[in-house]
Amino acid sequence: MSQTITIDPVTRLEGHGKITIQLNGQGEVEDAHFHVTQVRGFERFSEGRPFYEMPGLMARICGICPVSHLIASAKACEAIMSVRIPHTAAQLRRMMNLAQMVQSHALSFFYLASPDLLLGMDTDPKVRNILGLAAAKPELGRAGVALRRFGQSIIELLGEKRIHPGWIVPGGVTEPLEPAKRDKILAMIPEAHANIAMALGAYKKIADTFKAEIAVFANFPSNYMSLINEDESIEFTDGALRLIDAKGATIEDGITATRYTEVIGEAVEPYSYTKFAYYKPLGYPAGSYRVGPLARLNIVKHMATPKAEKELAEFKQLASGPVESSFHYHHARLVEMLYGIEKIEEILADSRILDKHVRATAGVNRLEGAGQAEAPRGVLHHHYKVDENGKMTWANLVIATGQNNKAMNLGVLQAARHYIKDGKFTEGILNRVEAVVRTFDPCLSCSTHASGQMPLAITLVSSEGEVLDKVVRD
Amino acid sequence: MVPDRDLSVKPMTDDRQGDELNSDPAVPMRFEKANCLVLACGNTLRGDDGVGPKLAEWAAERFRGDSNVHVVARQQWTPDLAADIAAADSVLFVDSSADSDPGRVSLVAVPSNRGCGDAASHHLEAHELLGLTRSLYGSMSAHAMLLTVGAASTELGESFSEPVESAIPRARGVLEKTVLRFLAN
Repeated sequence: MSQTITIDPVTRLEGHGKITIQLNGQGEVEDAHFHVTQVRGFERFSEGRPFYEMPGLMARICGICPVSHLIASAKACEAIMSVRIPHTAAQLRRMMNLAQMVQSHALSFFYLASPDLLLGMDTDPKVRNILGLAAAKPELGRAGVALRRFGQSIIELLGEKRIHPGWIVPGGVTEPLEPAKRDKILAMIPEAHANIAMALGAYKKIADTFKAEIAVFANFPSNYMSLINEDESIEFTDGALRLIDAKGATIEDGITATRYTEVIGEAVEPYSYTKFAYYKPLGYPAGSYRVGPLARLNIVKHMATPKAEKELAEFKQLASGPVESSFHYHHARLVEMLYGIEKIEEILADSRILDKHVRATAGVNRLEGAGQAEAPRGVLHHHYKVDENGKMTWANLVIATGQNNKAMNLGVLQAARHYIKDGKFTEGILNRVEAVVRTFDPCLSCSTHASGQMPLAITLVSSEGEVLDKVVRD
Repeated sequence: MVPDRDLSVKPMTDDRQGDELNSDPAVPMRFEKANCLVLACGNTLRGDDGVGPKLAEWAAERFRGDSNVHVVARQQWTPDLAADIAAADSVLFVDSSADSDPGRVSLVAVPSNRGCGDAASHHLEAHELLGLTRSLYGSMSAHAMLLTVGAASTELGESFSEPVESAIPRARGVLEKTVLRFLAN
């Protein structure tokens, strides 16, 4: 008798999804899927709006990574305007994007993942949360709060708002950086360094205790894609995309926003509102790839900041080629936070950072434009078409979570097959299957441009519809 | 040195309106210096849920220029707000309530030692946030009250229901009185 296990919704994610696991008559896992179950459809309702409104509208997709949407959208608009933004504006945008990355990674690592990592996968779920973490490891809880506030404060100082700042616009930014704000940000840097050093140290101490999870948490060969600079250093805001294969060899390089749709397609599966991005020449699903912190660190050769450079070298020691287990996303996230703090300090030392020329202006000079940036969880692509008056006629967004979708599904299947035997499962097993998805830090609101909240229920149902087992979390 | 003061000795109820003020006398509140955080929560696009930010907006104007009063309004109370609470001697949480009668204004003490249950990572209740602050920042002990206004409707919209609209002046009065009591000690 076949059975289906449903985890609905999955907890400690950005957004709303569920997992189903199909068992055969012997109680062995046959298949598993991660479903994204909500849809809002920002592309459709943008039609008819003036193109210059798009950054402000599209940023509302997400409260965690609105800055990435602002940047990708503004760059698509600038392609329509055919303008190149001033150097200072580009640097200020880069700083805000890095600040967002730090706060988002802090949320993912400290609030969402650390309860599993520091309290244990089998700990009582009633204490396996941020409050339990604070009680057990207050110093790490304080570090998490401080790093999140570090990123949020920079966003607020630059853009007046912590979430959905209207400061990034087509052509640059609305206001230059004031010296007093620069000094405030510089004053926060030492504490941020101390906190990320503590977090990296704590993670490295416990990472080896998760060898069993590392072995089955989406641990398989895949392709990877991320932005990279010409000098092969990490890049979140400009640069071009590189796609590498499972052995680390470059498949395609220099993928600009304009070329993106030539090489990247989107497949649809009946069980999810999130699409499945793939590299067209390899087809679907062979052309599927991973994005985000793991992909970025697998692709780049340098971090271009001294402390992060050392951490990258240590990270790359985890494997002879690309680091495959998605469990290592956590480690990569911490290295990137360190990079972000160092790079922000470096940007503030730019002799032109206080320059007043921060915005270029132009009208409609092309009827189509595309922009791309690295969101905390991976590559983000916006593609627009407008009429002669600049009204939007079409939009398509390709989100990081869609690009990780196949790997997340395969990862859930891998973990489910490893842990679920004879059709029985415990709460700890359930949590491990969810934790596979958490390593990717997917943003389901972004991926379907919708939002949601997540209690949880997991039900074992026979093919005849009989409920055989059930675990509920309010 | 400013003497300690017990603020829980006078439960206040406006019987005509059915409002319940400071209904938890079991939690004494003691102050050594004045520094008040007004921490509001709510979505201004969801009808009566926006009453918290609305009251925060009024409080920011009422106490403009008073460096002892810090007003923060958020759609959700998130864990990072623990640092704001830790930096204040007293905190007044302001929110709508789906459990109260529409328009009912309540002011109650918030215990920081209540069980936290299965806390979410993206938003916390007032007592959870207070408990988190205590766990993270140790000896710091924020004196906390929760001011709520009973909601009639949280459907999409930027206007308030009639019961909430008419309760706002009373809620402002309670907010002002509470902040002034905090500051006076």
